Amino acid sequence: MKISDILVQDAVILDLTARAKRDVLAEMAKALANAEPGLDEARLLDVLAEREKLQSTGIGEAVAIPHGKLPGLSRLLASFARSREGVDFDSIDGHSTHLFFLLVVPEHSGGQHLKALARISRFLRDASFRKRLLEAATRDEVVRAIEEEDAKF
Amino acid sequence: MGEPAATAAILAAAGVLLVLAGLASPLSNRLGVPVLVVFLALGMAAGSEGLGGIPFDDYELAFRLGTIALVLILFDGGLNTDPTVLRRAALPAGLLATIGVVATAALVALGGLALGLEPVTALIVGAVVSSTDAAATFAVLRSSGVRLRESTAATLEVESGLNDPMAILLTTIATEIALEHAVGAGSVARLLVEQFGVGAVVGVGLGFAARGLLRSVQLPAAGLYPVLTLAIAFLSFGVATLLKGSGFVAVYATGLLLAAGPLPYGAGVRRVHDALAWLSQIMMFTLLGLLVFPSRLLPTLGVGLGLALLLAFVARPLAVAPVLALLRVPRHENAFISWVGLRGAVPIILGAFPAVSGYPRGDEIFHLVFFIVLATSFVPGATVGWVARKLGIADPSPPPPPASLELVSLRDLPGEFVWYHVAPASAVADSYVRDLPMPEGCLVTLVVRGRDVVVPRGSTMFRAGDQVCVFVLPEGRPLLDLLFGGAPEER
Repeated sequence: MKISDILVQDAVILDLTARAKRDVLAEMAKALANAEPGLDEARLLDVLAEREKLQSTGIGEAVAIPHGKLPGLSRLLASFARSREGVDFDSIDGHSTHLFFLLVVPEHSGGQHLKALARISRFLRDASFRKRLLEAATRDEVVRAIEEEDAKF
Repeated sequence: MGEPAATAAILAAAGVLLVLAGLASPLSNRLGVPVLVVFLALGMAAGSEGLGGIPFDDYELAFRLGTIALVLILFDGGLNTDPTVLRRAALPAGLLATIGVVATAALVALGGLALGLEPVTALIVGAVVSSTDAAATFAVLRSSGVRLRESTAATLEVESGLNDPMAILLTTIATEIALEHAVGAGSVARLLVEQFGVGAVVGVGLGFAARGLLRSVQLPAAGLYPVLTLAIAFLSFGVATLLKGSGFVAVYATGLLLAAGPLPYGAGVRRVHDALAWLSQIMMFTLLGLLVFPSRLLPTLGVGLGLALLLAFVARPLAVAPVLALLRVPRHENAFISWVGLRGAVPIILGAFPAVSGYPRGDEIFHLVFFIVLATSFVPGATVGWVARKLGIADPSPPPPPASLELVSLRDLPGEFVWYHVAPASAVADSYVRDLPMPEGCLVTLVVRGRDVVVPRGSTMFRAGDQVCVFVLPEGRPLLDLLFGGAPEER
């Protein structure tokens, strides 16, 4: 499964206006709902917040991967957002977070969900990939960076 | 009494007290007060004015035992500080442990003055009660079934570790001022720099040396490692104090340094030091309970209650909130940290310092401090869980791991057993073991479901409520944390 296949390009945000954890999730959920009509935005936000309660998905190195299961969804969806200033996402390394990958999956997506999460986190372990995302000037550059990373594995 | 009999009598009495203390500890859960308060009460009950009728007013002995107890408690605190937690919370906790402690001490001292204490007495009392105790907070939280957000918990934990040496330093200095050994701002500043500087240098230096030593020696028995670490703690305190530094700063720093790197036989060493710290606390609290004369508490009732309320409602919030606001800590979190400055063993032990040092009003100070600590454990202490829930910063706490598995080895082996709790919101919920993208070298070893133990196969499904034991190599930890939703920390 390729991340570029599930990435909703219209929901990519290059400059988040949100400055707080909850607001980042809301802004990304809204963008995703706008791009994917029929997606229950409020429900999505609840699901993401519920997961954050367990432990922040801010996995360090300026990266967070908020995720959750949404009943009624027909396929896996991913979106990307970036904050230039950085957000206090309660990240496990205590630093601020700049890169956000959101993943939302149907209720019974079995291993797909886990594989997508593992794949995204593997991409983001690569410092040069993070750098490309941080420096991308346009949405297309973000998409291209993800496509090229997809082609590697 | 002749010799074997005298020692036997003391040991028998200590045994009875400790057994009673152990049996009384479940009471603290029900009452929502720190367990140590129960030990105090027991000590008081055994004392000369209680049922036990044991006469004890030997401040000298209490001081000596108290010093040893503090060394053991501080070393254990350092040893148990997770370096990543320390790094995360270093800034807020560091500021709280310095500016916060000084501000708290100053505000309480001012309050004491206003309530009619002598200036020097007020100063000492302020210094003595300025340190907080996270263990007390966590114990109360655990018994009320709430879990704090990680950043809040980390700040409280690291603050309470760092501010003990600071409070001890302030008390030492205030006592020096009281005895007119240090007069004028110049000599106080020099004392501060000397105590802190020498303490830190000795502590860090010995910490590094000890790390090298522990890693290079091969001792014939696992049981000898804690002996070595205990010796290191004593050395650190002793050398720093003899060089006119603060031994307490030193021993805490040494503990922190040992915790920051791989420690051979770490789990075993920590367990021994945990036990020593517990024993120290129980012993000290029971002893200090013995030392208190309830009849002498009565005269301090007014001032003590006034200072306790001032500490909880004014001094702590005023000293803490601005610092945290400056660091942009969210408001509700700030409010919680400002509220739960629980006091623990350290102030009560410190309360005995002035009396031992020969300060004429030492007895009054001891009783006053005793009263303040007791009162603050009842007021903020009993409300911790409720406040955390009200402020919305409590997460429902997952059940504790059902069993413990541990790699025990004389050599430093990579990897550990981690217990994950599967929540409904965990990514792994409702997926099969075979679908878990296992990092290299990691393995799901056991699934505990209710009262059943399930040996995991590829076709086993993770269900919400499961406790899953995974063997994890350090590189695999971040992904597994992400997929399971983090492992509940043991506190």
